[in-house]
Amino acid sequence: MHIPENYLSPETCGVMGVAMVPIWAIALKKVGREVPREKMPLLGVAAAFCFLSMMFNIPLPGGTTGHAVCGTLIAILFGPWSAVLAVSIALIIQAVFFGDGGILAIGANCFNMAFILPMVGYGIYSLITSRKDSLAGELLGAAIGSYIALNCAAICAAVEFGIQPLLFTDAAGHALYCPYPLWVSIPAMLLGHLTVAGLAEVAFTVGILAFVRKVAPDFGAQNVTGASKGAKVFAPVFALVAVLIAATPLGLLAEGDAWGEWATEDLAQMVGYTPVGLGQGWEWSAFMPDYAIGGLPDWVGYILSAVIGVALLVIIFRVAAAAMKPSVDFDR
Amino acid sequence: MGQDEQDIPSWLLESQDYEPRRDRDGFIAQSMLSITGVLAQFRLDDGAEGRLSPSAPTKLLFALGCILLTSLSANFFFVLIMLACLLVRLCFMPAKALKRIVAVAFGAAGITFLIMLPAMFIGQSHSALLIATKVLISVGIAMTTALTTPFNRMTAALRVFHVPSLVILTIDLALKSIVRLGEIALEVLTALRLRSVGRNEDKRASIGGVGGVVFLKTNEAAQATYDAMACRGFEGEYPTPKERQWRAIDLAWLAAFALLLAAFLYLQGAM
Repeated sequence: MHIPENYLSPETCGVMGVAMVPIWAIALKKVGREVPREKMPLLGVAAAFCFLSMMFNIPLPGGTTGHAVCGTLIAILFGPWSAVLAVSIALIIQAVFFGDGGILAIGANCFNMAFILPMVGYGIYSLITSRKDSLAGELLGAAIGSYIALNCAAICAAVEFGIQPLLFTDAAGHALYCPYPLWVSIPAMLLGHLTVAGLAEVAFTVGILAFVRKVAPDFGAQNVTGASKGAKVFAPVFALVAVLIAATPLGLLAEGDAWGEWATEDLAQMVGYTPVGLGQGWEWSAFMPDYAIGGLPDWVGYILSAVIGVALLVIIFRVAAAAMKPSVDFDR
Repeated sequence: MGQDEQDIPSWLLESQDYEPRRDRDGFIAQSMLSITGVLAQFRLDDGAEGRLSPSAPTKLLFALGCILLTSLSANFFFVLIMLACLLVRLCFMPAKALKRIVAVAFGAAGITFLIMLPAMFIGQSHSALLIATKVLISVGIAMTTALTTPFNRMTAALRVFHVPSLVILTIDLALKSIVRLGEIALEVLTALRLRSVGRNEDKRASIGGVGGVVFLKTNEAAQATYDAMACRGFEGEYPTPKERQWRAIDLAWLAAFALLLAAFLYLQGAM
């Protein structure tokens, strides 16, 4: 679902970027209220779940691939605005360091996966848990919420792809950017996400949520048990992150590219011409494009990318926690 | 009663409504803040050794070796391995130390990237990224080593590597003096601030005074330190620590370094 560079016109990217600015501003303001200072580092670990789940590529019908996002999971654990921030930072790291998703398209990608997805998912989750307040109800809410949320995000991405050929064409009628109109992009995106990718999102969200609720109930914005806050309580969660890192090469088993994330040459072969914007567009040279380094087995690059990404996320949120003003409540 | 009232001079009985005029004491506040900042940094360097920390000499060797390998490496993959190791280590640093390392290392890398920016416009964006990453790693390793080693262990480690006594003595005394003189300067500034009630036109003139007092105290302190050391039998020789400083965990760290070296040689050859 990561929209690559030059698939969207600069105008679309600009509009989406401007739309994200107030959302990020509100999120920055609200995250201090949603998450206490000592829990901020844990938000980094949750963002690491999101980063890792996006590395597990799953084959979809039609020869493309998709992945889970886990935005709903973070929204459930830490609140929707924290999820906006955490998923945004994970997406920015992916774009800047690993070339997954375009730099100019960061606004659009964040709008789909970091704003629409956690908000929809959390809304449905709270609707269901307000009726049925038990662990089973919570997991059911997480499952339905994450499934619908992922598809909403996919529809948004499909609409952004689909309006490109309708708005931007050259004199010959060839698209300048993404060549597939709405009536192609929406069914193509939804076919994959309604089936396999949606189920993967449900499996990741419900699986991790059930695991966390069982072994470390305090992992989240609220202190459920009131037990000590030491790092030892969360050791099983950290172990899960380590296991996921080691398992990321499984994402390489899926052949092919995700829908809308082809290389320019592949796209030119598929539609018969190279869209001008794609051929001459600006390209950011990432650290490790596609999580790989020339000459070495892909799985090494994949694990190394996972380690660097997760460590960066943890460091960012720990430094943010250290920079936050301590909120000492002297009445307690 | 009447007798007592007569004894008290009349000027003492007048009620006073003296309000000092507002005065700017920006320079005192600024100097105090910066000195306190420097002192706080030294406090931090008391050194928080982790449970898995190697002994100081091993740590010093390991850090120097890592910096050397990183700068020599022409292979980007090796640099990324080092980056991953450094970032993972940073994840487990105490928050205060982490904040400082991130500020310094990422700052240095950012400046390097800016300096190398013209390279991007002539199509060498790879080397700009590579060099900025190398700077990030080198500064990060150096800072991590400094912040996780108590200072006295560090000087002892230098001695193990046969660094001349004079050098160690100078570093040792200089660092201790900075802390001591910082405290003295802070005291003098506090005194100046307390005495500057109301508008003190002369305040700027006291900068020289503060400097002078600190300088005199420096002389005194140096003399006193020398005397104290002579009394304790110091003859200008730092003895090499007799008991072995090595620990069992050092072997594991040396093995890790051997692995890194092997990866370095393999990747250099694979180029």
